[in-house]
Amino acid sequence: MNKVMTMKEAISKYMKAGDILFLSGMQHGEPSAAIHEIVRQKIEHLTLVSCLVATSALLLGEGLIDKMVTGYTSQDERSYAIAKAKAMNRLPVFEEYSHFGVSLALFAGQMGIPFIPTKSQIGSDMLKYNENIKSIECPFTGEKTGAVRAIVPDAGIIHVQRADADGNAQKWGTVGVDQEGINASKTVIVTTEKIVDSEVIRRDPNRTIIPGFRVSAVVEQPWGAYPMHLAGCYSGDMWGFYGETGPQESYEAYIKEFVYGVNDWDEYLKKRRAIKGEEYFNNLQINMVMSEPIVTGY
Amino acid sequence: MNQNKAVLEYSATDQMVATAAHQIKNSDVVYVGVGLPFLAALLAKYTHAPNCTIIIENGIIRTTSFPLPAATDTLGSQTMSDQLTSLFYVSCLGQAGFISTGFIGAGQVDRYGNVNDTVVGDYLNPTHRWPGSGGANDVMSFCQRTIIMLRQSKRRFQEKVDFITCPGYLDGRPGQREETGLPPSTGPSVVITDLGCYVFEDGEMVLKSIHSGVGITLEQVKAEVGWDIKVSPDIEESIPPTEEEMRILREKVDPSQVWVGGKRRRPGKEP
Repeated sequence: MNKVMTMKEAISKYMKAGDILFLSGMQHGEPSAAIHEIVRQKIEHLTLVSCLVATSALLLGEGLIDKMVTGYTSQDERSYAIAKAKAMNRLPVFEEYSHFGVSLALFAGQMGIPFIPTKSQIGSDMLKYNENIKSIECPFTGEKTGAVRAIVPDAGIIHVQRADADGNAQKWGTVGVDQEGINASKTVIVTTEKIVDSEVIRRDPNRTIIPGFRVSAVVEQPWGAYPMHLAGCYSGDMWGFYGETGPQESYEAYIKEFVYGVNDWDEYLKKRRAIKGEEYFNNLQINMVMSEPIVTGY
Repeated sequence: MNQNKAVLEYSATDQMVATAAHQIKNSDVVYVGVGLPFLAALLAKYTHAPNCTIIIENGIIRTTSFPLPAATDTLGSQTMSDQLTSLFYVSCLGQAGFISTGFIGAGQVDRYGNVNDTVVGDYLNPTHRWPGSGGANDVMSFCQRTIIMLRQSKRRFQEKVDFITCPGYLDGRPGQREETGLPPSTGPSVVITDLGCYVFEDGEMVLKSIHSGVGITLEQVKAEVGWDIKVSPDIEESIPPTEEEMRILREKVDPSQVWVGGKRRRPGKEP
């Protein structure tokens, strides 16, 4: 089934206010274009589950997040996104885990089980303030162990290098918490650098991170992870983004120009190119390393 | 080495990195956190530990050197790895006991090696907020030995931290980690600062060496500890970086001087 649609359609059709939202891309290939579209559509009261997704600061700053399930987020008010959310009385509740804790909660969600035991986080004070991490007794040995409650996101968004029109999505490079996060999610939106023929997927099927039948929407969006890097596609400018959206004035200018001031990501990119210059984008090109093709068949 | 000391210019940060690198053995599997730990791991890889395995939390496992990353995951740290996988996978390696050495930074550390990366003051109404654990809790929960690197000041060396993000030896009582459910024979083993190097004896931090080569004295070290620190009876001068190590640090590990150069600061002046 062809699930290809525009970003605008995908976000408005498959996301709603109050959703638990999983965002893929732990410092690698996050769905930036989709995140900008969520801000544009002002989808609010979200519970965000993610690790190290840089552009999610925009969701925070625009007051769209009620709760953040996180292992690592700057909560310092010197971060303008935090200060702005606080000023609007829209500062989210932070539910804090270790990174493995977030991953485990999603893994339990993917497995369809209520919780998962772990040796991480026990002995820390995180348990005092996060009711979804507990110290329990092992039912077999009686020894103490930790437990993390499952998280099942309502919607999950992953950006990948290639997918077919059915939604069979392939991502390579580091996958952070992508595998468990996207597979735990009830509704899945795939954004991809390129829509490829299904034969391309089927010649290298081990690379598929989520199968088509689990996917609701497929959006083709080149440079969809910019300003983050994406393996095999382009290098990133994370620190540039942090610099640009750090101070109040430039944050507000960015939001006005590049979120509300454009209709979609293609317009965004055109505007970025005009302002940043071709050389800036040329510098994001990678020196390609090619691998030997794998062989399948019978 | 003493011959070098007279002519070799190096900073407290260089000493910190060298002391940390010396902790890495050729056979180690090292889980490396962001910042100075990367410098130490790369320096070790270019010198005495070419076979060590480096693990980065986003899912990178590699045995070759790579350009110093400005975060943890960059295309430089990914490309030509031995395995690219997930945070889940590398954390499972740790939890199952397959990572010998962890390297983390810290907001604060206390007498018993507990690390605070969360809040100063009350959790719900803090006077200072750090971003939180990241992978640090997992590293210090799982690795056979964890090495903590931070710039030292009294504020960051408290007798008892306000919030335990990464469990050390908790209140110092023997066996407490195991009772809590943490894997046996794990925990903090060394703390390296810009002033000196500390080890743990019976769960308590003990001053083991002082960075005398950059002019640090015992009085200076003691002034930047929030409790009456135990001093090892066989306290020594930190082994200074060699000329070769300094050359490699400047030319290979951090050629653009992002860390060693750009962030070079006076000891004890850090927030």
